Amino acid sequence: MIPGSHKRRFTLLDAVLIAAMIAAVILLARRIRDDLVYQWQWSVIPQYLVRRQASTGRLVAGVLVQGLLMTLRLAFWSAVGALLIGVGVGILRITKSRSARAIGRVYVELMRNTPPLVLVFIFFFFIGNQVTTALGIDSWVRNAPEGTRQTITLLFSPPARFAEFLSATMTLAVYEGAYMAEIIRAGIQSVEKGQTEAAYAVGLTRSDQYRFVILPQAVRTISPALAGQFISTIKDSAIVAVISVQELTFRGLELMSATFRTFEIWITVTVLYFILTGGLSAAARIVERRMRVRGH
Amino acid sequence: MSRRIPVEPDHIISVRGITKNYPGGIQAIREITMDVHRREVVCVIGPSGSGKSTFLRCLNGLEQIDAGTIIVDGIPLDGNRRHRDEIRREVGMVFQSFNLFPHMTVRRNICLAQKRVRGKSDEEAFAVTHALLRRVGIEEKTDAFPSQLSGGQQQRVAIARALAMNPKVMLFDEATSALDPEMIGEVLAVMRDLALEGMTMVVVTHEMGFAREVADRIVFMDEGVIVEEGEADEFFDAPREERTKAFLSKIL
Ligand SMILES: Nc1ncnc2c1ncn2[C@@H]1O[C@H](COP(=O)(O)OP(=O)(O)OP(=O)(O)O)[C@@H](O)[C@H]1O
Ligand SMILES: [Mg+2]
Repeated sequence: MIPGSHKRRFTLLDAVLIAAMIAAVILLARRIRDDLVYQWQWSVIPQYLVRRQASTGRLVAGVLVQGLLMTLRLAFWSAVGALLIGVGVGILRITKSRSARAIGRVYVELMRNTPPLVLVFIFFFFIGNQVTTALGIDSWVRNAPEGTRQTITLLFSPPARFAEFLSATMTLAVYEGAYMAEIIRAGIQSVEKGQTEAAYAVGLTRSDQYRFVILPQAVRTISPALAGQFISTIKDSAIVAVISVQELTFRGLELMSATFRTFEIWITVTVLYFILTGGLSAAARIVERRMRVRGH
Repeated sequence: MSRRIPVEPDHIISVRGITKNYPGGIQAIREITMDVHRREVVCVIGPSGSGKSTFLRCLNGLEQIDAGTIIVDGIPLDGNRRHRDEIRREVGMVFQSFNLFPHMTVRRNICLAQKRVRGKSDEEAFAVTHALLRRVGIEEKTDAFPSQLSGGQQQRVAIARALAMNPKVMLFDEATSALDPEMIGEVLAVMRDLALEGMTMVVVTHEMGFAREVADRIVFMDEGVIVEEGEADEFFDAPREERTKAFLSKIL
């Protein structure tokens, strides 16, 4: 048999499963139509995706798409932070120094055994409120020149909500960082010992051994797990709605209390999340396949 | 620079009473003392588990010794990290399993340390790389990845990678043991040429023919100690120790 050919065969089981699924969907749809006391009104949704600006007549992002973009920015910076933390802590976890390993261990255990919601509040009230004010980041952002403020809005968040954004990003980075650290530790440990030895023997410094030899190879083995972790970051980012970061879930909550179009809004929000995460995992699979084809 | 220790100026490596224990109470080597002269080729032979690899790996600090002293080109291989760094830059090593960097082309494998450690420019590093690849007979593989090479070719690249650092000593740990028989010759030929050019070499090997032909001195190890050493022909023709005789009778 040709390897993989069985994947394309359409079996009786497939037919039964698909038929069962279609039947379930039809049944559910009819129940909702006949028994649910709910007036569907999908027509309200498009304006929250894209709308025409009254003053200029240009098409701009509606609140949900704005929320989606904020989610993306939030997840991106959180993932960058988590990756940095992950590399640092992942290396700490396997160094020779006992105390360094202990520090890494405590961090990972602490993060993995704390509800992320609690972390969100800790970071918001301690870091978001106190530290950003103390460091003057908040007022610096607010008083920055217009051009800088626009750049900040584009890359991060509107200056007025920068403190929330910063603490949300830090929370997520610190939280996801613990999981990143475990992935990266496993990745580093998957690189053969002979690689480090060869890098040592040609005289590379410890950091160059990591930078050029160990981490690039570790990344190849863990890239699917890293992509998965990034997708988790996107999903987990919904939690920072509680500190009013205007990401997708927060926008959904806002819209729901303003319009009461509960089902339409949450279905749309779900679809938007899915487009983002599904698109990313598809992209990750393609990249992974490319890398495999290149054979290293 | 490091403080150089005055030793016999002719001794590139000076080993005094070194001991290495592994966790679990394994005494891999016990109070070994020996010197390697400049331009000398020393072959280390002995049964499996006798501590040959451990000994070799101590010489560039891959393993830390528990007792004794090692001085390489006047620099003590002690706790001082600067000393260790300096020594591993000057000591090349070739491994049984090649250990090429699989995600880099042949050229990058050989250029990396030249650029990062020696601070050479791309052009300088390329020039050295091409000269070395010509020398080991695989110039045409410059842009190949290790996985696209045969074992013999990979090991020759590994030798070129070590030579690119312009080392004062080369260590070989069973460089041909992982190779198919038809590839052993091409790697031994490179090593032989290197020896003829006057490279100082410490070679752990099971290739007795090679040892006899190339080595200035044979060191026979068993159970973590040097049982016997001597000039190659003398060693093979007239071994003194019983253990040496027993070992040689088994493998020759
Ligand atoms: N990393 C290690 N941890 C624990 N014990 C080890 C380790 N490496 C080697 N040993 C032990 O130390 C002893 C010497 O091993 P070594 O690898 O130096 O022998 P060798 O002479 O190179 O053998 P071979 O010819 O099989 O390569 C053996 O008993 C071995 O089991
Ligand atoms: Mg060995």
